[in-house]
Amino acid sequence: MSKTKTPAVVSGRTPWNRFAYNNNTVGYVFAAPFIIGFLAFTIIPMLTSLYYSCTDYNMIDKSNWVGFSNYINLFKDERFLKSVGVTLQYVVLSVPIKLAFALFIAFLLTRPSKLVSVYRSLYYLPSLIGGSVAVALVWKELFARKGLININLAKLGIPTINWFGSMTAAKWPIILMTAWQFGSSMLIFAAGLKEIPTSYYEAAKIDGANGWQIFWKITMPCLSPVIMFNLIMQLISSFMVFTQAFVITKGGPNDATMYYALYVYKQGIQMRFMGYASAMSWVMLLIMSAITAIVFKTSKHWVFNESES
Amino acid sequence: MKKKQLFAAVLSVAMMLGLVACGGNGTSTSSASDSASVSSASSTSVSASASSASTEEKKEPVTLRMAWWGSQTRHDRTVAVIELYEKLNPHVTIEYEPMDFEGYFNKLNTLVASNDVWDIFQMGSNFPTFQSKIYLLNDFIKDGTIDVSGTTDAFLRIAADAQGNQVGLCSGVNTYGIAYDPEIFKQAGVAEPTENWTWDDYKKICLDIHEKLGIYGSSKFDDWQAGGSSGISQEGFDYGFYNSDNTGLGFTDYKMLANYMQMRADLVDAGAYPDPGACNEISDIEQDFIVSGEAAMTWVASNQFVALTNAAGRELKLINPPRKTANGPSGITIQSSQMLCVSNDSKHPDEAAKFIAFFQSSIDANKILLAERGIPTFTAVREALADNLTDVEKKVYEYVDLVGSFDTGGKPYNPASPECGEAVKEQYKYYLEKVIYKEMTADEAAKAVYDYAASQF
Repeated sequence: MSKTKTPAVVSGRTPWNRFAYNNNTVGYVFAAPFIIGFLAFTIIPMLTSLYYSCTDYNMIDKSNWVGFSNYINLFKDERFLKSVGVTLQYVVLSVPIKLAFALFIAFLLTRPSKLVSVYRSLYYLPSLIGGSVAVALVWKELFARKGLININLAKLGIPTINWFGSMTAAKWPIILMTAWQFGSSMLIFAAGLKEIPTSYYEAAKIDGANGWQIFWKITMPCLSPVIMFNLIMQLISSFMVFTQAFVITKGGPNDATMYYALYVYKQGIQMRFMGYASAMSWVMLLIMSAITAIVFKTSKHWVFNESES
Repeated sequence: MKKKQLFAAVLSVAMMLGLVACGGNGTSTSSASDSASVSSASSTSVSASASSASTEEKKEPVTLRMAWWGSQTRHDRTVAVIELYEKLNPHVTIEYEPMDFEGYFNKLNTLVASNDVWDIFQMGSNFPTFQSKIYLLNDFIKDGTIDVSGTTDAFLRIAADAQGNQVGLCSGVNTYGIAYDPEIFKQAGVAEPTENWTWDDYKKICLDIHEKLGIYGSSKFDDWQAGGSSGISQEGFDYGFYNSDNTGLGFTDYKMLANYMQMRADLVDAGAYPDPGACNEISDIEQDFIVSGEAAMTWVASNQFVALTNAAGRELKLINPPRKTANGPSGITIQSSQMLCVSNDSKHPDEAAKFIAFFQSSIDANKILLAERGIPTFTAVREALADNLTDVEKKVYEYVDLVGSFDTGGKPYNPASPECGEAVKEQYKYYLEKVIYKEMTADEAAKAVYDYAASQF
């Protein structure tokens, strides 16, 4: 052997060497753990669920093929339709509120301030712990008939609200809890705000624009790709709301908070109509895909892409 | 290069050894210790089995899994019994999982699907649904692993299926009743309920107490049991929600369900009964509104009366639920509160059966359990506990005897509920909430429940 350094990869000597050291092979080997996990824990269960959605599987007895009758029965089920309506109502209410909060706080955080990093971590904290059962239980106590919120309302002289006993009021604690977890959206907005070139602001100031005009004519259009991203992410995650409704209201007074995922759980796990629940999950996939596709299609009209102009 | 390869090889061998040595416990340590170079482990297991060879037989270490539902009181007492059994039987280790009622059945459903049900599990009257997962105890009774000489045939039958197979061992008998606070009744100037009180009396009492004291007249009831199941039985001795062999309904007039629903909606309207949001705040018997003084009475299972009284910290009395007519049937009977079963997935059904027999028939174990699951079915245990009954416990025993003396028209008691029981209960609660929130009339709701239940057969 020569004393000079041989290249680290000796490719080409034998067919096995050529195969093993080929860039593609190496790439696949490193990606293999993820691919195996994806197959085992995502794709295969999804396909199995598609199969079960056409049967009357109830986890104990043998399953029988029933074709599309689960899907047809879904649309005849008044509880399902109410659940879809309630979920849509929740999405329409909670996503704008959450994004508005996130944008507002992100805006405040871009002000020069000595403690900016402290505030940023502080405001991110709720989204770390917010989705947990413990916080949901605390929320349940806060909004109980004799909870802190009602006590303070009484002190202010406002009549107390029966949060979880009234069908119209029951959704607000849950929406509030979701809005409270605005941390991740806020960080992305903050990053987006930082990217707006200050030359735009300087030019606007020279032209004599006031604060509002600057916000609507410069900040919002430049932020629109970021808004689009956050909108899609929050839409998708808000359709899957489960923990809050399950822990706090269990479906709410008279199904007022019987969100889609909670109803799937009720049918599939509690009443063991697993085939029916699987059909419901696939319908949810279709609805969410449709809404996401609509948002993407209409984005051409309101998302300002700097690279295009 | 060579050093690196050597290092990598040593590391991977060390990792392999670590994985193999950590793996397995109980009966599988023998195979693991063969392959690993952890010779010290194998030598100790050999010496341990050699020393226990001096007892009659070499006992293989056994691990059993167990789960149950209940309140904190029940969890603490059951764990104490488990530790007692482990002390008496050192080769047995029991891994336990106490849960709440809903969580327990959700977990059970998933375990049934994956064929991994706990070796010992608690079961109620819904056992027909899980029949395929229950290991029948007939053989154990025949060969004496479970000694049933201390109990009676009647008590064995309440834990048996329709064909007479022993499905489990009853943990205790109980029945339903109403617990009330006599002090609050006195304060409101309302007469205490009597054995023959009716649902109209109940409604009037709730409204009166709410008017005079501003609190709930009654706390959360088990609406299904009160209005659906027992409610139908109160119509007459021949009626019951399901017929005696669970093949269909036991009544034909849906209006029998309507009155209860209407009364419930009226009471919520008047503020004399907690609305569904308030009912949701009660997660356990110890948080019931009667404990905090916000209600004058509540529905309770007789075996929970002691826990309720302890939580309330004051005297409570027990009476039977209201009837539909003053001299009509009471609608309630003595029933098996729950039982312990062995699962078909268990690798050691005989050990599990031994534990169940100990749990139900051992006097030491039951001195810890103190009839929290119901009055024991083994005579010796009953007598042993009878010596040390507190006043509250005496009230429970007297109440159960009282219910036992009620006329049931000679109808045999059916311990099982049909497979669709859960779904029907769910629909009943759903329609009842609709009536409470005025989206349906009681008549329509009653008809909807009846139609749904009938369609399940």
